This record gives sequence, C-alpha cells and structure tokens, in this order.
Amino acid sequence: MSTCPECAVQVEGDWTRCPLCAAALSGGGAAGPWPVVPLRFSRRRVLRVLALASLAVIVLSFLAQLLFQPEAKGLGALRSTWLGIVTTWLVVVMAISKRRNIAKAVVYLVVAAGAVSVYWDYLTDFSGWSLTYVVPIVCFASIVGLLLTVRLIRMETADHIVYTGLVVLLGLTPLLFLALGWVGTWIPSAICGALSAVAVVLLLTVSGGAMRHELAQRLHL
Amino acid sequence: MSRRNWVRLDNASNIFLAARTDVDPKVFRLGAEMDEEVDAGLLQAALEEVYDRFPLYHAVLRRGVFWYYLQDSDLIPRVAPETEPSCSPLYQVDHRTLLFRVLHHEKRISLEVFHALSDGTGALWFLTELLAAYARRRASAPAHPAPRGPRPAPPLHTLTTDSFAHYFRRRRRPAEDPAHAREFTRDAAPAALTVAGAGPTADGPAGAAPAPPPATRRRGRVHRVRGTRTPDHRTRVLELTMPTAQVLALARTERVALTMYLTALFLESVRRAAGGAADRSRLVASVPVNLRQFFPSTSARNFFATTSVEHTFGDDETLDQPEEIARSLQQAFDAEAAPAALAQRLRGLQRVERSPFARIVPRPLKDVILGLVNRGNNRHLTVAVSNLGRVVLPEPADSQVRRLQFHVSAARPQFCAISHGEHLTVTFTSPFVETDHVREFARLLTARGVDVTVAAPRTTEAELAETEDEEVER
Repeated sequence: MSTCPECAVQVEGDWTRCPLCAAALSGGGAAGPWPVVPLRFSRRRVLRVLALASLAVIVLSFLAQLLFQPEAKGLGALRSTWLGIVTTWLVVVMAISKRRNIAKAVVYLVVAAGAVSVYWDYLTDFSGWSLTYVVPIVCFASIVGLLLTVRLIRMETADHIVYTGLVVLLGLTPLLFLALGWVGTWIPSAICGALSAVAVVLLLTVSGGAMRHELAQRLHL
Repeated sequence: MSRRNWVRLDNASNIFLAARTDVDPKVFRLGAEMDEEVDAGLLQAALEEVYDRFPLYHAVLRRGVFWYYLQDSDLIPRVAPETEPSCSPLYQVDHRTLLFRVLHHEKRISLEVFHALSDGTGALWFLTELLAAYARRRASAPAHPAPRGPRPAPPLHTLTTDSFAHYFRRRRRPAEDPAHAREFTRDAAPAALTVAGAGPTADGPAGAAPAPPPATRRRGRVHRVRGTRTPDHRTRVLELTMPTAQVLALARTERVALTMYLTALFLESVRRAAGGAADRSRLVASVPVNLRQFFPSTSARNFFATTSVEHTFGDDETLDQPEEIARSLQQAFDAEAAPAALAQRLRGLQRVERSPFARIVPRPLKDVILGLVNRGNNRHLTVAVSNLGRVVLPEPADSQVRRLQFHVSAARPQFCAISHGEHLTVTFTSPFVETDHVREFARLLTARGVDVTVAAPRTTEAELAETEDEEVER
C-alpha cells in the first residue's frame, strides 16, 4: 500500500498519484481490489441516436411528398425510387429496434406496410391498389409467417400470443374493406379474411387461456 | 405450456424506472472481500442454492399498459468475472434478463441489483445467504471444488392464501409448482401492502415520544454540486475504509448516530470543495429510512421512506463546526424518522398504491409524471447518504470476510456506508470525475485521528492511460 502525504491516507492498488488529490504517492502498491475497465462508447446510445435520426428523415420524406402536384412531369419514377428507399429504411429500422421480439416486429411491419401503401396510393390518385392487393397480401403473409416462425424458434406462448392475436385481428380488416366496397377485386381480401377467421377460431380454442392470462397481466389496473 | 406468476411493480419501485438514465441506471452493489481469491465454481454452486430460496430474484421485468410487472422466469443466474464498470445497467427494455448479477474479482464477490427489484436491506439478505453458502462450501472443500450435491428441498412454508387476484377469475388453473408460485407472489408483493395496520399506534419502539409536527420547509437556494461527467458515464467510485471503533468513538463523543456524524462531515466537505459557492445556501442530504425496523415485513421488495436533513452555512463559525452540525442534523432526523412520522409516510405509500388515479394512468404517462416528480425532488437535494449499518454474517462466512462494500449508481454525490467486524467502508459515488469533496472528507477524518485507506477503480482517461503505460514498460 502507498501513502498520500497530503491527505494522510493509505492508497490500495498500483496508483502513482493519489486518487483524491493527485499528489505523488510514496511507497509502492500492489494490484488493487478493483479491475481496470477500459473506456468504451455506449453502443446503445449510438443505436438510439441513429434510430431517432432515421425516423426524422423518414417522416420528413413522407411529408415532403405532399408538396408536389401529382401531375408534375417526371415525378412518377423519382417518387417511386424515393418512397421505395425510405420504406425499406423504415422496415430496417423497425426490424433492428424490435429485434428482441419477432412477433412484436411483425405487428409493427404490418401496420407500417399497410399505412405506407395506403398513403402512397393516396398520393397517386387513390386507385385502390393498396386496399385491394397490398394490405390483404401483407396480412396473409404475416399470419402465415408468424404462425410458422413462433413454432420454428420455439417462442414461449406468453411472449407472442398478444402480438399474434393483433396480427390476426389486422388480418380481418380486408373483410371490412370488402364490405364497404373499397376494393377492386374481391379475391385477395376474401382469402386473407378467411385465413384470419380460421386463425381467430384456432387461437381462441387452443390458446384462449394463455391469451386471457397475458391480457390480464398487461391490462391489469 | 407454463403460465407464469407475476405481480405488478409498486409505485415506490416505479420511480426507479422513471428516474433511470444513462448516467444513473439505478443499480446498487453490495459486496464482500474474502480472505482468499474467490473460487468461481463454488460461488456458482452457492448462487444456485440460494437462488432457489429467493423466488423474487427469479423475476424479469415486463411492461404492461398501466404498470410494469415482475414475472417469474426459468433463467439461471451465472457468476461472471468483473469486466464492466460497477453498477452497469441491468434492466433494458425488451431484454428478458434477471434484475441482478453476481460478479467476482480476485478476493471480491459483488452482488449488483436493479433498485426496482429490491432495496439495500432486501439485497443484504440475499448476499448474507450467498456468502454463508459459499463459505460453507469453501470450508468443507479447501482443495477441490465440491461435487454438486442434490439441491436442498425448497423450504416448507405455512403460507396464507394468495391474496392477489392476478388472473381473470374464469378458468383459473393451478400453476405447475404451487409452492413456488405462492412464494413468488408473496415475496414479490409490494412491501407497503404487506403491513396490516399502519395507524399511529403501529409497533414503534416502546416508549417512543410522539413526533413533533414536521418542520415547515425552509426557503432558500439549495446548493447543487456540478462537475464534469465521467467519459463513458460510468459511476465514479471512491471507497474509504476505516476502523469502525475510531469513527464510532467520534460520533459517541457528540452523542449522535454514526450516519449523522458522517453526513455532517459530508456537508462540510461539500462546502469546502465548493470554495465559497455553497456559503449561505442550503445543503440538503437525503437519507433513506428502512421501514422494516418499525413495520415488520418479510417482503424483500423496496420498503423504505426517504427523509432529508439540511444545514445552511452562515457567518457563525461555532455553529458550522461538523460536530455542531451533526448534533442539529440528529435532532432533525430524529423528528423525521420518529415512528409516528414514519407511520404517516407509510399510510401515504399505501394510499398512493391503492389510489384509483394512480391505477388508470397509462404506464408511459406514469413514467413521464414520475420522471418530472423525480427531477423536481432532485432540485432540492445536494447529496444523498445511505447506511446499512453493522452486518454480522453467520459462521463460517463471518471469519472469511474481511470487509463489506456497498455503493449505488448516483445522480448526485452520494455515500453509502456499511460495516463489518472492525472495518467501516464508506463508498462515495458521483456522476462527476471531481473528487474534491471526497478528498476533504478523508482529510477531515484523518485530522481527527482516523486511519483512512482509499481504494478506487480507475475512471478518467488519464487514470486509465497510466495503467496502459505501465503495461508497455513491462
């Protein structure tokens, strides 16, 4: 142990200067009780800043579309490229930030993909392609993908049941569009709606108890 | 398919989630320095034995719409060598991890706990058991790690029925291991609700005088310590070890408790380190009081109330001597920590716990509100102190432990004290690199004839570069 002549304290560890007052120590020291931990940057902080910056760029890009007139010359290709890149970016950011829970990531994906396609459709004179094709196909694919994935990766029921339920409920929305006559061709919506209806029945019969338990927990007052 | 047990997190613990930042992840550490290098294999075996008896420590934290809740898990804790700065974050959103960790480095065993899970007293129970189990193994197997025997059967408790209706009533199924389930529910229940009646006649110390009405809040600027943040936001830790008897003798001469004596020295150190900036402003120290000592509770959850004591340095130098400050702090503290005053606080805690308004506020909003409340409270605090007191461990652990450590990640300069045997350890933590207040504190003690030993992890770039230079020279 070494000694600080200024503070009159003994210092444990291999310090050459007093950790309190930085005066030179007298006497040699052996290894102290604390490990030496090198400085490191916080990966969490970097990820958070990148995610927030990305979200800002994405939101601004979507809002910027409102400034253009639909009939502007040469806009079509430019807008498709721009929105395509921004949408891909959005999906990547979501996938990274929700990587801990794949079921939650799928809910976010369905909502974002549906919202972006409807907005895109609206920007291009709303011919209804988003509601007729994109939303039913995305929902259908998500339900199939999610039901397969949670089994393949042996996800615990409690961890995905609420999200699976949400995706299946979202899968019923094309039936609503169909009923309101918002769609051009009825086939995609009908297939998606039928699959969702079957999935709802399956979920309630097979995992109804787990679902109630999980909802009781999450909505506990 | 397992149906996991869960309980919602109480309001007292919620504040730790709302107040958690990069700088202060609300993690505290309790540790012991053994007489020999720690055997990781024995420690792991001891941890697994103790873990089985502490259902609360199985919990992971999850987010609901209105509350955070603790959920039982199958995770097995692993002891690990210490490779990160002390009190590194334990809870991260969406990570399903345990809320504590057990580390070892040379002779030291450290238990780090996320404050939303438990408080110092609760964690000390766990550490005591862990050290006892480790020391038993160490004593029986000096040369070789003991082969892992069959696990001891879980303790049989005569349990009262589960008073928490956690599931929808319909189709409630028995859990797989009802004993474990009940233990988890019991251990994880909010501590404030485990105390039956907290009337003014609650079991306080016999013959305690009724508390005087709480003093009205004094007005005036509260001095707050500012400084340079540490480079990677790790907590600055400075650990002072001293003979308990020497400091205790000083405190006894002034007829004050050790905590208040050390607090008075701390306030004086902050004043000296501030170089005039703290004169004529209020220096306020927050002091937690363990409620279990007055309101018996078996809950290992957070169960404390915070009180605060303060001093204003003025022109009258006789009143500003640390000894004089200690006496006036003790008076104020005795009034605040009187059973009647504490019973009132406990009733407040229970009221908040049951209040319909606190229930229907969605969790994200609760986080914002509690965060603001916490920031408001911080504006009225200069420092914080916490003393776990004298710890006696069961043999053979007691003779194998040289000294204990206790510290907490800090949003403001803070000290945590714990004593074992002849050693009193006072560990200062701070979010800033400056060590001036600790230097003054150590000098105040050495000037009074106390032998002080300093141990500290390297924190700043310059301090860390020094070790690299040495390695290069070798």
